[in-house]
Amino acid sequence: MKKIIVENLKYKYPLSEKLALNNVSFEIEQGEFIGVIGRNLSGKSTLCQAMVGLVPHFYKGAYGGKVIIDGLEVRNYSIADISLKVGIVFQNPFTQITGSKMTVYEEIAFGLENLGISRAEMINRIDFALNLLKIAPFKERSPFDLSGGQMQRMAIASIIAMKPEIIVLDEPTSQLDPEGSEEVFRAIQDLSKQGITVILAEHKMEKMAEFCNRILLLDDGKVVDFDVPEKVFSRDDLGEHGVNAPVYTRVCKALNKKKAGTNDYPVTLEEAVRVLGGMGL
Amino acid sequence: MKKQGLWSLRLSTAALVLIPTAVGINYIGKLFAGLLKLPLWLDSIGTVLASILAGPIVGALSGAINNVIYGLTADPISFIYGITSLAIGLAAGILFYKGWISSWSKAIVAGLMIGLVAAIISTPLNIGFWGGQTGNVWGDALYATVLANTHATWLASFLDEIVVDLPDKLIVVLISFGIFKGLPKNVVQLYNTNNKVENLD
Amino acid sequence: MRSISLYTERNTVIHAMDPISKLFYILFALLIPIILPSIKVSIVCVVLGLIFLLVARVFKKTIPVFSFVFLILLTVIIIQGLFRPGNQTTLFHFGPFTLYKEGLMFAFGVAFRVINIVSAFMILILTTKPSDLVESLVRKGLSSKIGYVIISVFQIIPEMMSSMETITDAQRSRGMETEGNLQTRMKAFLPLLGPVILGSLANTKERAMALEVRGFNSKGPKTYLLEEKKYRYSKVVQWGILLGIACALAWRILV
Repeated sequence: MKKIIVENLKYKYPLSEKLALNNVSFEIEQGEFIGVIGRNLSGKSTLCQAMVGLVPHFYKGAYGGKVIIDGLEVRNYSIADISLKVGIVFQNPFTQITGSKMTVYEEIAFGLENLGISRAEMINRIDFALNLLKIAPFKERSPFDLSGGQMQRMAIASIIAMKPEIIVLDEPTSQLDPEGSEEVFRAIQDLSKQGITVILAEHKMEKMAEFCNRILLLDDGKVVDFDVPEKVFSRDDLGEHGVNAPVYTRVCKALNKKKAGTNDYPVTLEEAVRVLGGMGL
Repeated sequence: MKKQGLWSLRLSTAALVLIPTAVGINYIGKLFAGLLKLPLWLDSIGTVLASILAGPIVGALSGAINNVIYGLTADPISFIYGITSLAIGLAAGILFYKGWISSWSKAIVAGLMIGLVAAIISTPLNIGFWGGQTGNVWGDALYATVLANTHATWLASFLDEIVVDLPDKLIVVLISFGIFKGLPKNVVQLYNTNNKVENLD
Repeated sequence: MRSISLYTERNTVIHAMDPISKLFYILFALLIPIILPSIKVSIVCVVLGLIFLLVARVFKKTIPVFSFVFLILLTVIIIQGLFRPGNQTTLFHFGPFTLYKEGLMFAFGVAFRVINIVSAFMILILTTKPSDLVESLVRKGLSSKIGYVIISVFQIIPEMMSSMETITDAQRSRGMETEGNLQTRMKAFLPLLGPVILGSLANTKERAMALEVRGFNSKGPKTYLLEEKKYRYSKVVQWGILLGIACALAWRILV
């Protein structure tokens, strides 16, 4: 079933001359794990925000084309309505804290209170989210009194508690230390296993290759490619689009070792070992 | 870009979130004046910035909430002067809207006008509450002198207030204008609630 | 996290009272001396306020605020005693100055009124968690968005303060002079102001987006995670206070 349909999406920020998104079209199936890659300012964040209606409702600006999430055309619904279908997590864990709640537990409740969810249902959902994100031990702490990784997992839990069918994560680990990043990546994998459709914008290509069903490569607001990781990362023009392939792919490329019977290079450690195994590595 | 309606009560989320930040900036200004041991308050930079960025309603709310918070956290008397802060927010918002805070020289005039407004609102409060004083050493010394020589309580109280308010609000407006000019365009435009989505189809 | 609130946790009758009732008491303390402008009434109100502060076992906490207030009241007493227009009855002379009875009585009136109002506010502030106060007001009809704004200030200010401190420490460790004359201090702190303010304004965008995607602008009715706090005798206390004000008015008109 098509979960997300994007058709000729065009967008220009207010006061800007240039299109941030230029004729973007793609479709995403339910339960897929989609990676969005591209250099800085290629349109990744704008695209993520267009999925939840922040583009255009929050910024205004100029908008064309369509984003249809589970049958809702984003342009015609409020951000609050869309938030029932799709949630988003941002880069900075600090600014996502509402600043109005005393504990992690209450912080997660914020969105549910706004949506008017009953108390009993709220408690169920919060406990589910706390456990899924493995932050139940900190539930009585102040939201500010957490490590970066824990804070970001709380942000994800706050969204998950709202039970969206799709979650968008815009470089959720870019401001975290390696340990925090690892925690967050594990959490995102757990979400995907729950059947939630995941859209992840990220620079850590090894992770992207490992997790994603398909990768959307953006440059200059346009879709360059949208395909399985092996295909996208095997492109010869990746560098021109400001993206590095995973280190395993680069090694195999340098050695010209392709996956058996295909025209693609390996993208994960496992595949690389398999391909290079014959070389006594 | 269309200019925002002056009395728009439709507060965007960005404008609402600006209010706590404005109160925080007021606090920092106050702290700053304390660190420098300046004889001024500098505690309305955030209020004036909020007025400039998001209009008189948001500015007035920032001012009033500032005093509520200050009253709850440090000094209960500040509740009473919430009315003055509210007026400062309104005045700054209207003056900016009318183009009175668009250059350094105009900002000086606007600063003095806002100081005057603050003094006019505060004087009856001072009379009703303290019998006319402000608690500022220099102002109260002037109050005593004027009272001794003219027997005019209102005049003495007004001068007591204005001798601190004029320089204070002048500097506050100049600092706020300086910060406003240094803000990136996309931040400034964020608080504008009247923009419509243009169609590219 | 550091707290900037003056709230002091104790287990007393006053702490257990409805925040709204405490607001009613502030109204009472503001209105009674206006309705019945006699110094005896003011003294009764002041004593009442002080008793409540003692019952709430927060009297010690009021000292910093009261000492500041007393300092100003002292200058009020001196200035009004010496210079108030209408001063006639000489109490005593010292040097070239004469202290008059009328000014002094006026100043005492001011002093009792101020102490009375400050006490009433202190009862509210010292015995009520800000979040409880706001929640009560929101349940009574205050816009939940304004409620959000007030509560978030309590968390945002410490956050901004700590980023200010981080930068100040960094400047100090780089050998920047932060003590000395006005010019040195200006040079030290002026460059700090800009980045903190700009940073906090830039943060408003991200925080606003984070709120939006969590249904902040949702049109439907809100629900609450925490059950409504039940306060006992709220109605009785509040009607009692209103009755008190009404009696004062009647007294003023009839007697």
